[in-house]
Amino acid sequence: MPEPIIKLEDVWKTYQLGKTEVNALRGLSLEITPGAFVAIMGSSGSGKSTLLNMIGCLDFPTKGKVYLKGKDIEKMPESQLAQFRGKILGFVFQEFNLLPNLNAQQNVMLPMIFQKVALAERKERAERILEMVGLKDRILHQPSELSGGERQRVALARAFANDPEVIIADEPTGNLDSKTGKMIMETLTDFHKKQGKTMVVVTHDSKIAEYAEQIINIEDGQITKNHGTAKEYLWNN
Amino acid sequence: MEQLKEYFNISLRNIRTRALRSWLTILGIVIGVFLIISLLSLSEGLKSTINQQLQSLGGEMVMVMPGGDDDIMSAMMFGGSNLQKEDIEAIKKTDGVEQVLSMSYTGTVARYKNEAKNTAICGYDPWKEGLELLSFFQGWSLSGGRWPSKSNEILIGSQLATDIFSKKLTPGSEMVIKGKKFIVAGILNSLGNKQDDSMVYMDMEIYQNITGEKPGTAMYAMAKLIEGADENVVAEDIEKSLKETRKRRSGTDEDDFSVITSEKMGEIANTILGVIQFVIIAFASVAIVVGGIGIMNTMFTSVKERTKEIGIMKAIGATNSAVLQIFLFESGILGFIGGIGGTLLGSALAKGIELYGQVHPLFYFSASITPGLIAFGLLFSFGVGCLAGFFPARTAAKLKPVEALRRFE
Repeated sequence: MPEPIIKLEDVWKTYQLGKTEVNALRGLSLEITPGAFVAIMGSSGSGKSTLLNMIGCLDFPTKGKVYLKGKDIEKMPESQLAQFRGKILGFVFQEFNLLPNLNAQQNVMLPMIFQKVALAERKERAERILEMVGLKDRILHQPSELSGGERQRVALARAFANDPEVIIADEPTGNLDSKTGKMIMETLTDFHKKQGKTMVVVTHDSKIAEYAEQIINIEDGQITKNHGTAKEYLWNN
Repeated sequence: MEQLKEYFNISLRNIRTRALRSWLTILGIVIGVFLIISLLSLSEGLKSTINQQLQSLGGEMVMVMPGGDDDIMSAMMFGGSNLQKEDIEAIKKTDGVEQVLSMSYTGTVARYKNEAKNTAICGYDPWKEGLELLSFFQGWSLSGGRWPSKSNEILIGSQLATDIFSKKLTPGSEMVIKGKKFIVAGILNSLGNKQDDSMVYMDMEIYQNITGEKPGTAMYAMAKLIEGADENVVAEDIEKSLKETRKRRSGTDEDDFSVITSEKMGEIANTILGVIQFVIIAFASVAIVVGGIGIMNTMFTSVKERTKEIGIMKAIGATNSAVLQIFLFESGILGFIGGIGGTLLGSALAKGIELYGQVHPLFYFSASITPGLIAFGLLFSFGVGCLAGFFPARTAAKLKPVEALRRFE
């Protein structure tokens, strides 16, 4: 068994909502092995987005430990954690989250700036990845000039920019029609299959979960089921 | 370094995206720096002009004027009791004094070609030697005509010749002052201020004759010292002998005169200018602080608006220091551009006033725009920008990525 790339150990996350405390995650443990394709499923309010924030090192647990490549993220200096986020992880968000004042190429180049990639290489890489996601002739367009599907493909390209080990996608097809959504999922699957990258996708759509090899069900901040394969999941439901 | 350039470019792009607001923020700094640069260069210029004029007075002159020592300003403006004949004699007899030039002036009506205007007339005693002294030490020179040789001949200032009467006065023109006819013998070049340039200059004897001032007295006296004499020592001696003559005359030794060396005059002028400069800097500082608050406000708004953007940048690998630098650059650039604008406008205004002063003899001075002042303006505004941007930038840098991302626009 290879060392997990992301490991959560008895993770609790408590939010203070006015006077009441809300436990978004309650003693959740999880290991994501390199090369896995994991779908995290759950209804809204189940804690799946909180879980994704933990996996993506965007947030710290209230209690428990999160390890990224064997390192406790709370013990990492901020700058190193930021470097890790940019280099090891690639994010895809439901609402694309492109920077509106940058064109497609500049958006894809941005994570490379933070990794100190030289300008010429940045340009070349951004063009290559945008071509890969089928946006060769949209390179210089602003996000406002692109359709939803095109924007999400720019976001995919941005997530691939630093050649990360893990792609973390939060409802990547949530804002797209089914046809475009399918295209996005195929691109992700392709990336996983051809390059062996680890995928973590949060979704509430069981059709999307079909692409995954492992499905994790989450309810009230706890894992209720952890299915080895998608087929097993479908069988059981 | 390479990284800083990247962040700088990102900052520039952010500024361009919010062009209107950026320009308005910059305008706040422009006004502040404009005030500082124009006022400082003008007051510096004023200082050097006054110092130049004082220097032209010569280091070997001592002035005696009516009015107490502690009240020089009002004595200069309103005058006091005249110096008496024995006072002037006492000054002449003081060791170290080579020559004494006494002087009086008053306002009166002068007529030229059926036109009557208010003007000032001034008498000098001795007249002929006095003119030599004045041309040598105060730089009097003629722009036309000749030095007067007869008692009914007068000299006039450059402005009186051209600006006061509707018709120009030329050498040989006839003027009537207090019912007496005078011939303009010569016209002086500008003496550096409007007051001196619109005067009529004549022999003290004639002056006292037409004004009714007691002969032998005078408002002021200028003592030219023997070469090598210490002006401070002579000034003290003059003061002492003046006190004695007054004691003999009135029985009191109350000081109602002041003895001023050119050095002391410079000190007085510098004190006054120092106060003026202080006030100027205080006012300009208020302007720049307001400009700085403008930058801070813009940057805080910008951080609020771009919270999500900051979250995205952090999620894709931006460190706290990267975010801090991007925002600091942004506010620094706003300040710096404001500084350039303010410095340009401020220098232009100062230069404009200087040019106006050159064509117009009303006031004459040079604006002092030094490279130091320009560098100060630019660095200062950049500094104000960075300082004002520091807190907003830190707020931005400290945002947690997850919280920043959660906020929707």
